[in-house]
Amino acid sequence: MITIALPSKGRMKEDASAIFDKAGLKIVAVGNERSYRGRIEGLDDVEIAFLSASEISREIGAGSIDFGVTGEDLIREGLSEADARVEFCARLGFGHADVVVAVPDIWLDVDTMADLGDVAADFRARHGRRLAIATKYWRLTQQFFSSQHGIQLYRIVESLGATEGAPAAGLADIIVDITSTGSTLKANHLKILSDGVMLKSQACLVRARKAEHEGNPLVGKIIAAVNAAC
Amino acid sequence: MPLINLPTFAADLLADFERLGTTRVDTPVIQPAEPFLDMAGEDLRRRIFLTQSETGENLCLRPEFTIPVCMRHIETATGTPKRYSYLGEVFRQRREGGSEFYQAGIEDLGTRDFAGADARAVADAVSILGKLLPERPLAVTIGDQAMFEAVVAALGLPAGWQKRLIRAFGEQTQLEALMLRLAKPEHVPGIDAKVEALLAGDDEEGLIAHIDGVMEATGYLTNASRAPKEIARRLKEKLALAGTSLDPGKLDVLREFLSLNVSLRYAPGVLADFAKSTNLPLQAAVERFDARVAAFANAGVKLSDITWRAAFGRPLDYYTGLVFEVTLRNDHRVLAGGGRYDRMLTLLGAADTIPAVGFSLWLDRIEAVRGER
Repeated sequence: MITIALPSKGRMKEDASAIFDKAGLKIVAVGNERSYRGRIEGLDDVEIAFLSASEISREIGAGSIDFGVTGEDLIREGLSEADARVEFCARLGFGHADVVVAVPDIWLDVDTMADLGDVAADFRARHGRRLAIATKYWRLTQQFFSSQHGIQLYRIVESLGATEGAPAAGLADIIVDITSTGSTLKANHLKILSDGVMLKSQACLVRARKAEHEGNPLVGKIIAAVNAAC
Repeated sequence: MPLINLPTFAADLLADFERLGTTRVDTPVIQPAEPFLDMAGEDLRRRIFLTQSETGENLCLRPEFTIPVCMRHIETATGTPKRYSYLGEVFRQRREGGSEFYQAGIEDLGTRDFAGADARAVADAVSILGKLLPERPLAVTIGDQAMFEAVVAALGLPAGWQKRLIRAFGEQTQLEALMLRLAKPEHVPGIDAKVEALLAGDDEEGLIAHIDGVMEATGYLTNASRAPKEIARRLKEKLALAGTSLDPGKLDVLREFLSLNVSLRYAPGVLADFAKSTNLPLQAAVERFDARVAAFANAGVKLSDITWRAAFGRPLDYYTGLVFEVTLRNDHRVLAGGGRYDRMLTLLGAADTIPAVGFSLWLDRIEAVRGER
């Protein structure tokens, strides 16, 4: 039995169903329309679970599902060594969102990560505290700031919603967040650093790397069908 | 609780600490997490065991001893030089080895004889390891941020550039990127016309007022984060730094310095030749370096066991001078590591500068090495 987890609501759910339809994998709900279980017409060995996008990332990491459709950002944030644990089988062309570093527009002197490095280095001496970053992307932020840009001295302030409002509210100095059009950032007088795009994310079909998938023709068939549809 | 998992040689180690005239201290296993995250940065968060108190305070299992020992010193004995020793369990998630293991070490806080204290730290680490690993040849690698700082200053770079390079010291890729950038001046794009005019007229007051006005209008607090004056000043500095470049000859000098890697026996001669052939004013720094080499010899460390690697440093802002690591010869496992961290105690809240140098011993690795014979 192969389990595929799909987003349980909203645009993501519709777009994912559309891709599977186009791939010839027609999803039918089990029971009523709002059921969280489904199957694929003609494929008895496949079961569909409708979960939230972040649950999909978690369950794929735990290996309790075989395939999932979710944002690359959630996979890379949720799992350490993501590439070793999951395979990104197909990029589905919807759910586009960039994870970006944004600073107040009025920081006229900060346009690049190097500028931010200068500011972070002096921050404690000037303000008696480290530079504060509001984000829900702990892991991505740490990787991008320390490994790629050598910036270690900052603190993360966890933000679970309305992150873009944190600098104006005085809760943090800058943010790391997702944006699709940039309009929310603009409305909050924030700008994206020129080299501050951490990840260009979109919805992906991901597979948990499991030994039992080897030699299972159904696994290859699902990947090929979805790839042909997008 | 009887600590039956203590390394078998713990008693010898404690006797050694006593012989060396140190004061043994213990610190609680459960520590406030903020000082560790503040000092070492967010990267540490993934490696420590964090929890929260009922009131929401971040707590962690002691990931190391230096910070708790320093905080204790600030609370109890500021102003008096003191040498502390510790031996206990620390808790950290590591790629190799378990996540609870024993560490021991010595922290020398407040000693103003820098060369002497540096030498004593290295000599103590070497003598302790020598006793625990008899007849196993040891190798010491040292680095010196102060020497790098002196070279960078002698190249005549503006303060902002010196700071950037010093911040990257010990991170070869970051340093390379900075040196590439220094090869030619950079253009800063995207400055709007109004700001450009204020800059051209060198109107700092006007620029500050402009920034202040925009912040007011867009609902940004001018006192919560970076203030208008700070932004205006750094904008000017940034433009000056962008226009800075270093001629190829000077960049080669910097690269040549970073490639130096010699036995400490020859290091003073090599440094003197370097200063002479490059014609850089390094006299004061070289004298301090030589004084430390002499202090090493006086402390009984064999100079031929020590290698000085010019590029060896740790990119954290509290390290200021000496760093060192002790391994077995031809083995990569670091058995003892330490250095000078003169800036840490003020960062932790001490009113005055308190010089600090110390090292810690990786007891699990030492035990493994002892078992290999």
